[in-house]
Order: sequence, then C-alpha cells, then structure tokens
Amino acid sequence: MHATADPHVDAVIVGAGAAGAAVAWRMAKAGLSVSVLDRGPWLNQQEAANSRDDWEWVMCTDHHPDPGIRKAPADYPVTADDTPIRPAYYAGIGGSTLHWGAHFPRFHPSDFKTFTLDGVGRDWPIDYWDLEPYYDLNDQIMGVSGLAGDPANPVRASRAMPPVPLCAGTQRLAEAADRLGWHWWPSDSAINLDQDGLGRNCCNQCGPCGMGCPRHARASTDITYWPLAIEAGVTVRPEATVGRIETDDDGRARSVLWRDRDGAWHRQAADLIVLAANGMGTPRLMLHSTSAAHPNGIGNRSDQVGRHLMHHPTALVSGVFDESLGPPAGPFACALYSQEFYETDRGDTGAMRGYQMQAIRGQGPLGTALGGYVTRLDWGGDHHRQFENSFQHTVSLTVTTEDLPEPENRVDLDDRAEDAAGVPAARLTYRVSENSQRLLTHGIERTTGWLREAGATETKVTALSRQAGFHFLGTVAMGEDPDRFVVDPAGRVRDCPGLAVVDGSVFPSAGGVNPTSTLQANALRLADLLAGQTPMRRGRAEARDMTT
Amino acid sequence: MSTDRLTIVLDRLLPGDPDAGWPAAGALGLADKARQMAAERGDADRLAGIVAALPADFDDVSEAGQVAALKALEADQPDAFDLLILYAYGVYYTDPRVRDVVEARTGYPNRPPQPEGYELPPFDERLLDKVKQRPPFWRRP
Repeated sequence: MHATADPHVDAVIVGAGAAGAAVAWRMAKAGLSVSVLDRGPWLNQQEAANSRDDWEWVMCTDHHPDPGIRKAPADYPVTADDTPIRPAYYAGIGGSTLHWGAHFPRFHPSDFKTFTLDGVGRDWPIDYWDLEPYYDLNDQIMGVSGLAGDPANPVRASRAMPPVPLCAGTQRLAEAADRLGWHWWPSDSAINLDQDGLGRNCCNQCGPCGMGCPRHARASTDITYWPLAIEAGVTVRPEATVGRIETDDDGRARSVLWRDRDGAWHRQAADLIVLAANGMGTPRLMLHSTSAAHPNGIGNRSDQVGRHLMHHPTALVSGVFDESLGPPAGPFACALYSQEFYETDRGDTGAMRGYQMQAIRGQGPLGTALGGYVTRLDWGGDHHRQFENSFQHTVSLTVTTEDLPEPENRVDLDDRAEDAAGVPAARLTYRVSENSQRLLTHGIERTTGWLREAGATETKVTALSRQAGFHFLGTVAMGEDPDRFVVDPAGRVRDCPGLAVVDGSVFPSAGGVNPTSTLQANALRLADLLAGQTPMRRGRAEARDMTT
Repeated sequence: MSTDRLTIVLDRLLPGDPDAGWPAAGALGLADKARQMAAERGDADRLAGIVAALPADFDDVSEAGQVAALKALEADQPDAFDLLILYAYGVYYTDPRVRDVVEARTGYPNRPPQPEGYELPPFDERLLDKVKQRPPFWRRP
C-alpha cells in the first residue's frame, strides 16, 4: 500500500474530542509541533437543526447519539448485541461534546481512592487536589456557569457565570428536596450565560442542547479549545480515519497510518503518538495494531486492553404532574442535582459507592411520544390522552450510578464488520453488576419518593436506560502496578515507548457523575507530563480541611 | 379502491380523538410521507416488510381485529415494531397540522426552539438558604 509521508511532528493525536482538544492545545502551548487526526468532519453548529421545523425528527434519527440509529458516514461499526446498554458517541471535530448536555460536575475526592476507602475498584495514582488546578484551568476555557459552595463537594473557585435558571418542574424538585431534608444544588454547566462572555452568545433556554448549539452558548471543543489550539499552531485533519499504529522492530510506536476522505493513505510519523479516541475507540485501535513486537495488540501483554469497561448504568424516573409545567425550556440536562446518596453508605443502599440524581427537563412533542431515554407512550385509543397528560406535565430524575471495574466487561474486536480503513468493529460485552443493580434499585425508590414529594401524581420508571452508554471508561487504565495497569501515571503505554493514552480509557474508577470535566482536567495534566512540563501546583490545602 | 394498508395501520396506531381535536394519522394522508422518511434513511424495505408481516386479511377485519393483529406483531417482532412506531410517531408529530393541534391543546408554540428560545427567570439563590446551612459532607480520602 502506498502511503504519503506527512511532515514529521513532535506529537500526533488521534481523536479531536474533549480530551484530544485539551491535550493538543496544551502541548502546542508548550512548544510542541502537533497534528490531530479525527475520522469525523468539522460541523457548523450555526446550521444545527433546532432552527428547523423537523428538528425533533432530526434529533431522533440523523443526530441520534446511538451510531446504530444515526448511521453517519464517519461512524465505525459497533457490535452491541451482548450488552443491555447501547453505545452513544459522536465523531467530529469536537467529538461527543458536539452533542452532549454539558452537565459539568467534578469527581469527589473519594472517587479517586475507592480501593483505599472501600476495598473496591482501583485507586487513581493521583488525588483530587492534583487535578484541582487543571479543573480550574479547564473551567476557564470551556466556560462554566454554576455556584460555588456546594456542601457535597470540596470548596471550589467561584463560577464564572450564575447557574442556569430553573423551570417550573425543577423548582418543584428543589423545594421538595428541602422538605425531605436532602441535598440539592444547581448544576455546574458548560453553558454561557453571559451576554458578552467568551465571545459566544448567551443561552436562550431553547432546550435541546444535544442537537448542537447555533448560538455557541453551550460549550463544545470545536468552539472552545480548537480555535486556541489552531492559533497555537496545531494542524487539525478532519475526516482522517486511522487504520493502525505502526511500531518498529523494537516495539516502539513510530507512526500512524491513516486514510483521507478521498481514500488516499498517509503515514504520520511522530515522536509521540497520543490516543484520544474514547474508551471504546482507543482500545479498538490498540487491539487492531498487532505486529511481531505486539502480537496481541499494543500494550496487551497481560490481556488488559479493553477490559474493565465502566459505564454509568442509569435509571430514569419520570414524574407526571396534574398541572402544566410549561414548555420544555432550559438546557435539558442542566438544572440541579442531588448527591445525598453519593458516598458509600452500605447500611442504607446495600452497596458500595453511590449515585447522583440529576434533573432532566421535559421533551418536545415527538420526544415525549417516542420516549427516548424513557418508555414511549402507548399507541392506540389511549395515545392522545396519554400525550396530553405527559407533555409539559413531566420532569424526570436520573439515577447515575458508579460502576465498578469488572474484567469481563470489555471492548474487543468483531471481525465480521470493519470501517473504511479496515479496522474491525468494536464489540461491547457488558453486564450490569450486582453492586450497580443495588444502587439502581435504591435510587429508583428514592427518586420516586422525591418526585411524589414534589407533587407528581404518577411516576414512570425506566429501570435501566438502554440509550445511556455515553461514557466509556477504564478500558486502558493508568496506575502504578505494571501488571495491572496498561498505562503509567503519566499516560504512557508501558509496553510501547512512544505511545500514550489521554482519554477516559485511563480512568481507574468511574465516579458517579458525568466524567467530561474530570476527563479534560486529567488530559491537561497528562499533556504537561508528556510534554516534559512541570505539573501545575496542587490545589488549596485549606480545602482539604473542609470535611466532616 | 382499497385503502393503502399503511394508512390503516397509521389509523390504528394514532386513531385521533375528534372530541379533543386530534386527527387520525392515516386520515391525514401521512402514509406516503412516512414511506418517504423511511426511504431517506434506507429503511423503506424494513417498513414495508413489517406492514407486510400483518395477516393477509388485515385490511378486511374489524378495527378490533386490526388492533389485535398489531399487538401480536408487537409481541412477536418488537424491534421491527419499534421501527414502525418511529415512522408513525415521527410523521405524525412533525406534521404542521398536528403541531397546530399541539399548540391549541397545550400552548406549546408551533415553531422550532431556535432562534427565539424561551424565557426563564434567573436562578434565585434564596432557594438555597436551607441547603447552605448544611455542613460539608463529602468524604475525606
């Protein structure tokens, strides 16, 4: 196969999503020459379909988070017939941040030390305060609205913008939590609420952030990190599908073989190859890149690559109210959360670790009928009554549980299908663990009670949301023990000099909250280490004393 | 001339409610649009297949019999039936005549979310007065 040699660079990054963008910018600022490859295109969010009359149809089809439904040209095949949770991701410059809800919580300090504290899972080789300065830096670049002072979390810097507004439904939840004596707090949201802030428009509460934001109010890395990275000299190559990582006779990673939009092959040589293709795409590429030096795939000497896949198994309970709650206004995933049951309380939950409850606002008419994350409305004679009772009468709560790393839950390859570059399908094998199931059961009971306290006259339970596989974590984990962890604490693949991993694959534990804030903070930290920079100074010591 | 089977199916799935002003999906003439939407996504054959999987006498039995046949199909082929529902609900709730009814019945405006968006009052920090009294309760490693 002929492959055109691209000019040598210090670092080539595979994946232009949340992690790849942060690392590219940070490395370029440190003086490295950086090239980035992503299988997806640039998207113009100003043309997002939420300005079109058929916006809901587009959201349910062509912009669906599940690649099996969306069928976009850039998607790679995924075999998901042995998992109860469907995959959700997006390929494009910006990755899944192009279609996310922008809920932006941080991990708790305990999330980094689950084995030390609870005897389960795997400790991180760092702690919360190692990441704190990177959390703050990342917040500045993404742009975060919210409010400091949450008693469920360590003290953090003031948020740049006030919290997103509550709507009638979420305000009822806040008041009900107070009556129950439960914790709640307005969400940290990567959404611009400042009319003149960040060079982006202010959110106008339209609702479906997942479609892309034509106002650029909701952050995504194509409008946050990438302009800064490109200004710093990074070369971004869209629609560049990677075929394999090439190693030399000694097993060192030397180059990336990739295919452009016209089908021509290229070879990008670099001193450092950085994988940021998410916890499904990264192990897929490592397992496929076999050679004499790496017969079972790169870094897979101990058969650990792709194992310990962690999602956030999610239940969803919807409360239906007699009175109208008004139109589905406000960012659908950002309003408020409760971490009342976040930390381990085995006597109460019967499980280790915990879960977050997060408010989800109502959907549009078609979304209400089809259900999406929840059960769809019945067809037939009762359909129209059900619609009138549900639409603008519903607010929901997620139960987002912390998944523990189980070796049988994994990503591997399925040779029955391959993408245009000849890389086999990713195959997901996954079971919800007994521990996660106990947390889900406990959370369903508590969220049902919360909604009833808020005045819901009916509750509908989705015991496990099938379309909630949006977080792929832990499949190429980092840690100190070379026999257990593929990646060292600096992100370097142990068995393959010249190769690093910086995305959610490296998470030893999953926490019980959305991971993007932690993922990007860790990516910035790894970028400093990989670029030979001194890490930022650890977080504020006084914060560590603010515990009960 | 016999009625198109998909039109009958749409009328059974979304039969309308004259008292409330909801039109039946088939009566709106949405079958061709549903087929077009399926064709645009490469699902034309699958949609035709699920409709063809109904009993041969489906068109001629009573409405109750048609509902029973659809329920049997839903039980036997849930994934294929989900596809039928996607196109049935999709064509119905994106039709401007139906969106007018949604607006009339619920007040939800028949327009896309952008560019107007919606107005909400700013977050009222006084709502947090009680939570703020709680001491920190995160766990020390």
